[in-house]
Amino acid sequence: MAKLSGFWYTAIFCTFLLLQGCPKKTPPTEGAEGAGKTTTQGTNKPGDSKTKESTAEGGSLKDVREGKPPVGSGPLGEIYFAFDSFDLNPEARATLKKHADWLKSNASARAEIEGHCDDRGTNEYNLALGAKRAQAAKDYLVSLGIPAERLSTISYGEELPVCREETEDCWQKNRRDRFNVSGGKAPS
Amino acid sequence: MNLLLKKIIVAGLLIFAFLVFVRGSFYAQVNTGTIDLTGGRRVPIAIAPLRNLGSGDDKRGVSDGVADAIASDMKLSGWFRVIDRSAYIEGPQSGITADSFDFKNWTTIGAESLVKGGFTVQGDDLTVELRLFDVYQAKQLVGKKYTGKVRDFRRIAHRFADEIINQFTGTPGPFNTRIAYVSNGGGGLKEVYFSHLDGTEKFQVTNNKSINLSPAWSPDGRMLLYTSFRDGRRSLFLYDLTTGRETRVPDQVGSSIGGKWSPDSQHIAVSFERGGNTDVYVVDRSGRSPRRMTEDRGIDVSPAWAPDGSRLAFVSNRSGSPQIYLMDVATGNVRRLTFSGSYNTSPDWSPKGDKIAFTGRVSGRFQIFTIAVQGGEPQQITSGSGDNEDPSWAPDGRFIAFSSNRGGRYHIYMMRESGENQQRLTASGGDDSSPSWSSRLE
Repeated sequence: MAKLSGFWYTAIFCTFLLLQGCPKKTPPTEGAEGAGKTTTQGTNKPGDSKTKESTAEGGSLKDVREGKPPVGSGPLGEIYFAFDSFDLNPEARATLKKHADWLKSNASARAEIEGHCDDRGTNEYNLALGAKRAQAAKDYLVSLGIPAERLSTISYGEELPVCREETEDCWQKNRRDRFNVSGGKAPS
Repeated sequence: MNLLLKKIIVAGLLIFAFLVFVRGSFYAQVNTGTIDLTGGRRVPIAIAPLRNLGSGDDKRGVSDGVADAIASDMKLSGWFRVIDRSAYIEGPQSGITADSFDFKNWTTIGAESLVKGGFTVQGDDLTVELRLFDVYQAKQLVGKKYTGKVRDFRRIAHRFADEIINQFTGTPGPFNTRIAYVSNGGGGLKEVYFSHLDGTEKFQVTNNKSINLSPAWSPDGRMLLYTSFRDGRRSLFLYDLTTGRETRVPDQVGSSIGGKWSPDSQHIAVSFERGGNTDVYVVDRSGRSPRRMTEDRGIDVSPAWAPDGSRLAFVSNRSGSPQIYLMDVATGNVRRLTFSGSYNTSPDWSPKGDKIAFTGRVSGRFQIFTIAVQGGEPQQITSGSGDNEDPSWAPDGRFIAFSSNRGGRYHIYMMRESGENQQRLTASGGDDSSPSWSSRLE
């Protein structure tokens, strides 16, 4: 009988282990509540002038959230890059010189520079590459005399493409810096 | 006296039966790992719908649901051929112990292995018994009894599926786990989701209509890290499955990219970008006390911990193209691991410690490779016309999840570490990518 009670003890202990090991938690079935309070802040700095503000208010992420293609419509056009490169080619430098001239004659304007990649490769690497592309444009504009305080950068990596075809033409359009202008007067 | 003896024997037998149930694998170790599954042969297995051992109706479909989930796991493993239920001779109310049904009913249809079981539902509570039989030897290999909530019946099924694989290979299977990934739901912005491997119990983690990337499980499977543009700029976030709460991990250095828990859960390896340059850091579990691990002007991203936490694999383009490097965490010593190809990214360290899986570019396409930690020639394990990216090891070190656009849109797939038996896991209308395979759930 002593042996029997030993058996019982083991059995109860096993039941305990079994219960401990059993699935007991499932995640809440509703959406992530913590994420519910989405505060959508534009990425631009405050201090915009009141007259004839440029259209830049949020840029590519805002465009896509509103169902629009993330294509710049402000006074400063995009520049483009080669695959896995953040080198500024002669065409990009020429465009940036014009951007510098515009920023000099619109001294209250600020520009946010977005770096983008085509969708080939790894998302995390492309976030870092987009940051290099945005910084390359910023550094060049600063070298042309634009105060660094008027320029900010953000990388969207490959996440906000302007097109989705698997062609070199489309990939080239996506490997870009976009410039969002806030403050200053829009060109007449 | 006679009656007392009888009572003792009955009680003893009952206890013994119970012990076999609970600790079934202990009593059935003899067969573990003895069946050769390496030759590409698939063991024909029958999985009978469960017998309702209680009096209530099976409103939640436990009988078929458990059998379906086990069958799905057996197929995904690639080691089994599941015999279609329409061929079964016995009905679901036949016996579930070796002495209470006729094994001939299963040899006749070609089954070598057989799963039978029963269940009882009481309110929300569920009890499930599952047994694996060797049909030719007409004997039980393992029996298990599980209790839980009715809504968890699939997890019980996945646990037994892992046990079946343990019986055949000596190591439990990878099915009582979850896969986290991002999906754009048909062209929109990416949100984080997770589900079981078979796609059931899908759960949406983020719903902020922004960009959410790179989900990574904590070692205990209770928390997810991910990168989010939720507030317009990029930050690392932590989602606690137990509380449903999302918190921002403070950016001490710059704007973060990625983030992975150390194996002991005490640290996070993450990249921070500042002034356009991205470097790898190790921070504590609350995001504080940053320790800079790389200091060069190139891109340094995607750190992945070795299973013992002593080393990190990461991507750097310091040589001019993205390549995989290894770093000793204590000393900071760095060694380049990959030398072939001009684009090698997204490393993930095998839980066995011996290999690193990564994405490499070949002829303009991306493919999954593995390479020995000591270095040497990488082994290309995917091929074909699509892109195959973002490898994530299963906790058993025998399977790899990855994303592929071979069918047009990106979906999550799994395969053996050899590249064999590639099977699609997700079926959303959008693009699914960046899989992270959890550890085994309780």
